[in-house]
Amino acid sequence: MSNFEEIIVSKQAVPTFAVVILALIFGFGLFLVGYDQGHLFSIIQGAEAFDDLFIHELTHDMRHAAGFPCH
Amino acid sequence: MKTARFIALVLLAGCFAGIIHGTANLVIVEPYLDEAIGIENQNLFSSGEKQDTPEFWVEYSSYRDWQKGGQVLAGAILGTSVGALFGIIFAFSRRSLPGNHNVKKALILAGIMWLTIYFIPFLKYPANPPTVGDPETVVLRSILYLSFIAISGFGALGFYKLSNRLDKGKKIAVILGYAVFISIIFVAMPQNPDEVTAPMDLVIGFRAMSVIAVSIYWIALGIILGAFWQKLQPDKSLQTYTS
Repeated sequence: MSNFEEIIVSKQAVPTFAVVILALIFGFGLFLVGYDQGHLFSIIQGAEAFDDLFIHELTHDMRHAAGFPCH
Repeated sequence: MKTARFIALVLLAGCFAGIIHGTANLVIVEPYLDEAIGIENQNLFSSGEKQDTPEFWVEYSSYRDWQKGGQVLAGAILGTSVGALFGIIFAFSRRSLPGNHNVKKALILAGIMWLTIYFIPFLKYPANPPTVGDPETVVLRSILYLSFIAISGFGALGFYKLSNRLDKGKKIAVILGYAVFISIIFVAMPQNPDEVTAPMDLVIGFRAMSVIAVSIYWIALGIILGAFWQKLQPDKSLQTYTS
């Protein structure tokens, strides 16, 4: 007769896939809040996005408060 | 390590800490932003660039509401993205961080990252309210600020790697090494080219509140991510075997 036992196994290796996903999110979020000047919306909106600056205005107060250089 | 659980807890922790950051900004930083933008408006009127008309104030209210409304959303986005970086570094360094509880470990790492990629760069290139900052120099200022953060962050990482090769008694030399390294960079990097023309009490008050709000973010991030890690243990799994 066989016995079943359960043990907790610690796997320290950090998955490369997770690191890549998190690194992409880090770069994208940092750009969006800190540096976008219409670039993201220009993909669908065209050059007009650089005048409208929707993301810039949305993140404007956080941009100043978090220490990013602004206008 | 359980990949999905690891990613989810890191992103959620960053998002929650970012919402706290955005809310703190609304309460303690926003009054300084309003005051600074008020000065900006007065400058526009006196230069003749804008007219003090009801139409101006309707337009102003509209975009100021949009900007204020964005504080919490931008906090969530920024918090999630910085939290993602924090999560990566925490996962790699957790075993070597002091403490026997993940909240303590995460708070220690948050303190190190707050110092190296936020506070030391802040001392060199402090946050400024609107009215301070020439649009012509924003690209240069952005490059300088990001470069300083990158140099300080990678410098700290390099000295941490070096510390792993040294005996425990010699680790203080690594901290001193980083201090000397970043001091040299601090002196060598160019100053912010913009002159501060806004009232200094406004600028100093704004900077103090900015530091407090960002510090609240880092503390919240350490506590939340550490607590999530402690609870969810993404690096541990239950295995069944037959004997």
